[in-house]
Amino acid sequence: MSPTRTPAAPPVARTARQLRETVTAARRRTRPDTDTNPLREGLRLERVPDPCAFVLFGATGDLAHRKVIPAIYQLWRTNLLPAEFSIVAVARRPYTDASFRNEIHASLEKYSRVQPVDEGSWAELAKRITYQQLDFADDAGFDRLGQRLDELDAQCGTAGNRLFYLAVQPSQVTEIVRQMGRVGLDKEVRGQGWRRLIVEKPFGRDLESAKTLNHEVHKVFRESQVYRIDHYLGKETVRNLLVFRFGNGIFEPVWNRSYVDHVQITVAESIGVEGRGAFYEETGASRDILQNHLLQLMTLVAMEPPSSFQADALRDQKLQVLRAIAVPDPDEVRKNVVRGQYGPGWVQGEPAPGYRQEPEVDPESETETFVAGRFEIDDWRWSGVPFYLRAGKRLPKRATEIAIQFKDVPLRLFRESTGDPAPNVLAMRIQPDEGIMLRFAAKVPGLGLDVRTVNMDFAYDTSFVVDSPDAYETLILDSLLGDASLFTRADEVEAAWSVVTPIINAWANMPPPHFPDYAAGSWGPEAADELMERDGRRWRRI
Amino acid sequence: MAARPVAHSVPEIEGQLGKLWARAAIAREEAAKAQAALIAAQAEAAARASAALAAARETSDGGGHHVAARTSVLNLVVVAGDQMTAANCATIITETASRHASRSLILSAVDPDGPPGLDARIEALSMATADGRAETGAETIHVTAHGETGAHLASIIVPLLVHDLPVALWWPADPPFGSRRADRLLPIADRLIVDGSAWSGDGLAILGHLATAVEERRVIVADWALLRQSRWREAIASVYDLPDLRAHLGAVRRICVDYAAAGTGAAAFDANVVRPLYHVAWLASRLGMTVTKPLSRESEGRRVATLRQRDHEVEVVLQPADSKLGSGSTVRVEIDSRLRGAELVGIVSADDHKVEVSILDDGRERVRRSYAAPRLTDIDLLARAVEEGAADPIAVHALTTAARLLGVGLGSHTSGPHKGSGKAQEPGR
Repeated sequence: MSPTRTPAAPPVARTARQLRETVTAARRRTRPDTDTNPLREGLRLERVPDPCAFVLFGATGDLAHRKVIPAIYQLWRTNLLPAEFSIVAVARRPYTDASFRNEIHASLEKYSRVQPVDEGSWAELAKRITYQQLDFADDAGFDRLGQRLDELDAQCGTAGNRLFYLAVQPSQVTEIVRQMGRVGLDKEVRGQGWRRLIVEKPFGRDLESAKTLNHEVHKVFRESQVYRIDHYLGKETVRNLLVFRFGNGIFEPVWNRSYVDHVQITVAESIGVEGRGAFYEETGASRDILQNHLLQLMTLVAMEPPSSFQADALRDQKLQVLRAIAVPDPDEVRKNVVRGQYGPGWVQGEPAPGYRQEPEVDPESETETFVAGRFEIDDWRWSGVPFYLRAGKRLPKRATEIAIQFKDVPLRLFRESTGDPAPNVLAMRIQPDEGIMLRFAAKVPGLGLDVRTVNMDFAYDTSFVVDSPDAYETLILDSLLGDASLFTRADEVEAAWSVVTPIINAWANMPPPHFPDYAAGSWGPEAADELMERDGRRWRRI
Repeated sequence: MAARPVAHSVPEIEGQLGKLWARAAIAREEAAKAQAALIAAQAEAAARASAALAAARETSDGGGHHVAARTSVLNLVVVAGDQMTAANCATIITETASRHASRSLILSAVDPDGPPGLDARIEALSMATADGRAETGAETIHVTAHGETGAHLASIIVPLLVHDLPVALWWPADPPFGSRRADRLLPIADRLIVDGSAWSGDGLAILGHLATAVEERRVIVADWALLRQSRWREAIASVYDLPDLRAHLGAVRRICVDYAAAGTGAAAFDANVVRPLYHVAWLASRLGMTVTKPLSRESEGRRVATLRQRDHEVEVVLQPADSKLGSGSTVRVEIDSRLRGAELVGIVSADDHKVEVSILDDGRERVRRSYAAPRLTDIDLLARAVEEGAADPIAVHALTTAARLLGVGLGSHTSGPHKGSGKAQEPGR
């Protein structure tokens, strides 16, 4: 059925793609189209998620309670989920459906971003939540899970569509996926529903383990079924970065080596390891932030324009950037990458213990809580433009920022000015105070010709005083809709590890670092400043 | 706060605005205490605020504190007509200012036969948020035009617009399409905000004029009457997401909308039926229906029309119903379809908090759903009306179809079913 479209003179196709589109449009005009709902056009969602069962592994864990379930509740509350929707919560602990629902309700009262909890909406959602106790090594338990999902399809109309969310320890992923394969939970049969898998980062701990993990997952699921979630990519400002770059024409001509002096990307946290000492001991800043958040932000800044906003078109371009990053050899690691670990200090007026004094942390730990590096992208657009990346814990403030510093003017006409104008900077603040700032020179009013640097500041808060969706809401909805644009593909993960693994390996072969080497509440070790000073630059004061 | 005029000419207003933003700001400490409260400072109080501003600026330079003097998102021009409407609009704007900080001009005309002149007062708004985010600033200029000046509002508006920002023209009462005033004001606007459900009489004549204005002047319109129905549309569309029900969308035989009417008998024809008509128009435009017989009156408030969908006719009925809702409100929408011998009846109703949809399949209830969707407030409506930066093609098409249902002849610009979901470009941008 195609009731809203009338025959029109087909446009002349000038390219193969236009020809395909023309043919497709012509078919639509002549063939009943029951795949789309004409009443949806122009509504908030032109397509709603299919009926489905959302199977949440690790449902009693912190991530599920703080992020995943509040996000689902929010989507439900705003009518963005289909009525034929059920949640099967899976974890090891013993709960009944009722006791699990009570616990979830308590979590929503704490973590839902919209308070108070809408009891009417919650009651409707609660009816759709069931709990299944399951030891991930238990074959019989997985068999029961499979049967239960089949029953739910019949009872709730979820039509065989299933989204599996693994909110579990990384070490448990392979076992769960293997069990799912054994039971056949991955199998998609035409017309009998889709099966998708969401995996949380970290995606491995080095290149080898990432390849192994991808291999194990691919034994069961096809890549197109896998959604690797890095919640940074669901943040509003990160998505706005794409709009900023590809929705505005004026920046593209200067977005290259001819005009950009260097790029700085900072992911600073003021908090420590917050009770996750054991986890952090195994990861460190390179695995926790550099391999994913920092490199993902770098790809978004550096990528070529994609041909469309389809998932693979976008991810192909990001992959090109990752593959063009010059992989450092051990000497270059020593020269261009800095690691650090915080000692005791003061953060925001409060005393803070050193990393080695944190619970579950080895008192002699060599795990880095800070990493900074100078990277180069060997392609035509960016050759010779350094990208300085840094991330750390217990820094003075929580701030994530991308700053593009442009080259200085070729001739300083205003040398006599009392103030030397600083180079132009375009800074995109991702958190907090999301916004975009452009720094430029202006004349100070008066008879002289004094020049001062001023900022033109766009703040989301002051222009759009509306709440942005949480990143998990965005990403879960996208995965339900089958849109993988904001998820990381296997080859992207491996390409990112190809950059970071040589760094980790080089460090392993170096003498032990002199940790701690920065005080909590400072901007990291002196070596990070020296890294910039050596190039005649300095980190931005954020 | 006394509503004493501070300016009596456009240059005086401009002068006051300059002073206001050079001086007025609210110190962060004060704003934090207020926590999300709205702090209004009138222009004449600007001088008193200058000390606070100086303190705030010092803090800003020394400690990274940011005082947002003004954030410009759009110009909102309200042609209020009378002063009571102006006051109501001002209240809504104040509540909306934190979402869409802007310069608002609220114009009312009084004493048309008196001596010409104008009075103006200015309000600066600084909104502090409870969570310590940056303040947002906005300003509202209240202009009362006397005598012949009231016939030349465009000459007042244009110099007071913040340049290079979109202009939304809000006409809360009956827009005087075809008048000299409308001819002068419409070209200023990038977007026209109206409320079809508040128009006098049955509202249909003005609706026809509106569709013609959209057609001829390429005006982008946001009609609250249509925006109010977004929750109905979401609910109706959701039901037909079910694949086997979706097929029935091509086999609709009857659309019946019940509306609340204050009077009975012939008096029911006085109820404003813009909203009920929009329901039909939206469905017809989305489902590829054409008008074969425009709306005509039968008796006791009942109106009928005939549409064509593919090879069959669709009966349209608008009829009054007993209801406690305000006159002209939609009480119930019924969509009847027949496909391969199966008869499906979709029934939709709503209250303040939710929309309910049920589907009867050959007389038996097959689906019943309740969607939590509160009725939109005036604040929500104004915010939504200005949020869309470009024309909503779905709304344009619904309006065009509504006009056709009224028998209004429209040319080629807006005729024919909607051909895609791309947003139209704003004129002149």
